[in-house]
Amino acid sequence: MSGLMELLSNDFLPKFLAGMVVNFEIAAIALVVGLALGLLLAAGRLSGGMVTAITVSIISLMRAAPTFVVMFFLLNAIPRDATLFGAPFALSGVMTVALSLVPYSAAYVADAGVDSLRHLRAGTREGALLFLPNITRAFFVLVMSSSAGAAIGVTEGITVILRQAEQLSSFDDRLVLFAIGIVMFGIPLQIAFALIGLIQRRVGRVAVKEPAVEV
Amino acid sequence: MIAAIPRAKPEGPFRPQEGSLATLGMTGLLFRATALIALVLGLIAAVAPARAATPDAALAELLKEARAKLPAACTQPNVDRLIKILCAKKIRVGIRDYYPLFAERKGDRREGYEVDVALAIGRMLGVDVDFVRVNAATRIPLLAEDRIDLTIATMGHNTQRDGQVRFIRPHYYRSETTVVGPRELPVASMLDLAGRTVCVTVGNGSNAELVSQGARLMLFDEAGVLPDRLKDQTCTLAAQDDSFFAKYFTDDDFNARYFQKFGFAQVPWGMAVARQGSAELARALDLISQVFHRDGLFIDIGRLHSVRLGFLQQQQLVWRKPECNTDVGSANPSCVLPPLNTALQPTSFAADVTSFERWVDARTGIDLALPMLKAAPAWSLFKDGVVYSLVLIAGALAATLAFALMLGAAMGSRSFLLRWPARLVTMALQSSPIVLTLVIAATIAHGLFALSTVTVLGAAIAALGLANGSNAGQAIGEAMWSLRAEGMQGGLFGRALSRAATQIVAFLINAAKGTPIASFIGAPELLSSLTDITSFSSGRITTYSILLIFYTAVVLVVVWLCGKLKQILEHRQAAA
Repeated sequence: MSGLMELLSNDFLPKFLAGMVVNFEIAAIALVVGLALGLLLAAGRLSGGMVTAITVSIISLMRAAPTFVVMFFLLNAIPRDATLFGAPFALSGVMTVALSLVPYSAAYVADAGVDSLRHLRAGTREGALLFLPNITRAFFVLVMSSSAGAAIGVTEGITVILRQAEQLSSFDDRLVLFAIGIVMFGIPLQIAFALIGLIQRRVGRVAVKEPAVEV
Repeated sequence: MIAAIPRAKPEGPFRPQEGSLATLGMTGLLFRATALIALVLGLIAAVAPARAATPDAALAELLKEARAKLPAACTQPNVDRLIKILCAKKIRVGIRDYYPLFAERKGDRREGYEVDVALAIGRMLGVDVDFVRVNAATRIPLLAEDRIDLTIATMGHNTQRDGQVRFIRPHYYRSETTVVGPRELPVASMLDLAGRTVCVTVGNGSNAELVSQGARLMLFDEAGVLPDRLKDQTCTLAAQDDSFFAKYFTDDDFNARYFQKFGFAQVPWGMAVARQGSAELARALDLISQVFHRDGLFIDIGRLHSVRLGFLQQQQLVWRKPECNTDVGSANPSCVLPPLNTALQPTSFAADVTSFERWVDARTGIDLALPMLKAAPAWSLFKDGVVYSLVLIAGALAATLAFALMLGAAMGSRSFLLRWPARLVTMALQSSPIVLTLVIAATIAHGLFALSTVTVLGAAIAALGLANGSNAGQAIGEAMWSLRAEGMQGGLFGRALSRAATQIVAFLINAAKGTPIASFIGAPELLSSLTDITSFSSGRITTYSILLIFYTAVVLVVVWLCGKLKQILEHRQAAA
């Protein structure tokens, strides 16, 4: 345990917090790109005809594509000297992880967006407002999923923990360190989910109190 | 920096001893008779076109014969390159511009072990040296195009290259792949690499050996980034040619932090000439290389440039042995080193695959590469990867369902002692990123069992099952409580399963989608296998495209099956 304490007394916490910032950064990029793409797909899905069929297929494929495989595909399929419209298009580690999460986030946004647009068309504004807590939930799922970056050397929170764990020879110390990691990731996640639950219940109550809006 | 160049030693059958006739007697007569016979034999040997016994004499003779053909031979076509070099009074040497300690160019000045070896060869031949820049891709083609006479460019001698160029033997250096890591890290041999991530460069011939020892590879395009990735802790361990790391270990800070844990995959480095029209040049260089080893010139030059001397010192001992220090020593298998055998056993259908690749290229312009189908080890890895992936997916689905049922029953229970532990476990699992959950499962599994494929697969299945099963279980538990609130009493669990069908199915699909991440803890599934294959072959884009298609297709099948399961569960709910 003394080995663990020695490690933790060094610069572990600042490094870990800096790593967690990277997790949030990756999630934010994935969500912003996912929102743009997902809302387009949602609009396409509601437009009817052939466009709907194509959009549904695209969303199904995006939903089925495993994030981890997409990440390795992006990492290996895009040449280091690739250009897009004449500009260099080499992806950093953070961007690779973020873009690998886009199929998930875009498919999720498309599904939530379709629900929300249907509520709006039906005049149920509160139902449509559930889009926001759903997106917040997706954001935290993305934060957790961004730990996949550890596999390609992105210095995010889990990477910092695993690097510290490599320095520990004691099995017990490692488990304690992992537990610390779970707590550190768990606190913002559980607070966020509690807030989402609160917002959803409040929106639900408003919806029940103001049924006239739903007409 | 130029090292002292040894000259060919004076040769002769022997030197007759001088003696005083007055002191001879019977013994003296016998001695004189013996001396006379020896003298006669010596004269015969000198007059007859005898073969020289030492490399020095053979070299002197070869050069003498070549020079005797000048200048007439200078205008003749198809003469040996040795003649061309002597005519031009210069030798064109292909050399690298930046390979620390071995060949570096600083403005107009070149320095390094290989630079000085080239200059030493020029002096032995009595010609100037013209350096031509080469790199790993051009060092062989430039020889074939007659744009250089000799390449001395950190080129490993392997069986594949043996068919492209004529390597000079004995070899002038030998490198090995060295595994470098922090000094405090307890890694001492290949056996310690199982389950660890090692940073390597794509295409490195030693990657296959690392893979076979259970190491996970993190691939990089350029070796130059490896020291930085060690410093920023992206890589805990890096494997690369020891000649590459040699310069970094001359840096005090790097040397204080990192250590060469062990070396493997030794490969001799060879100078090379073109296979066609260079027979005499190659012969001359073989003899020069022998002399340089025997007389310690390679060691002197190596010491000047701080390269590792172990191999050179060992070779000096070899080339001082009487059986090697001959004009035919470079052809003696007990003296020279064999090339590294890098040839991979092809599959029985490799030729068909190659034909197919060409057919696709000709018709579509797509540069399709299917390395996993052409080499037997790659094909074996590929097949195993597919099988393990399917096992992993089936296991993850079963574990998710099992944990969902167990945790769901516990969370839906009226018993506080069952409900709260299940809730705490679920909360902990929800708070743990899947990568961390996998690592924890692997750490516990390694603590309890010996490391094996089964252990790793079991740990991955347990982690994926727990992570997804806890969420699905929570949905089942909540469904049970909602049914109680509605006043339901009998068959509560079955009805809860039907009510939570959507969430159960969603987390089953999530479990199937998450299986490739098991490669992070060393599960030998398809992502792992294909990463290993691409580490020692080409065709990364095709390979990862196949991987993406495979997993997406498998998940779509799982989605379809889960859709059927959902229908069954919802039908039950409707019937109830």
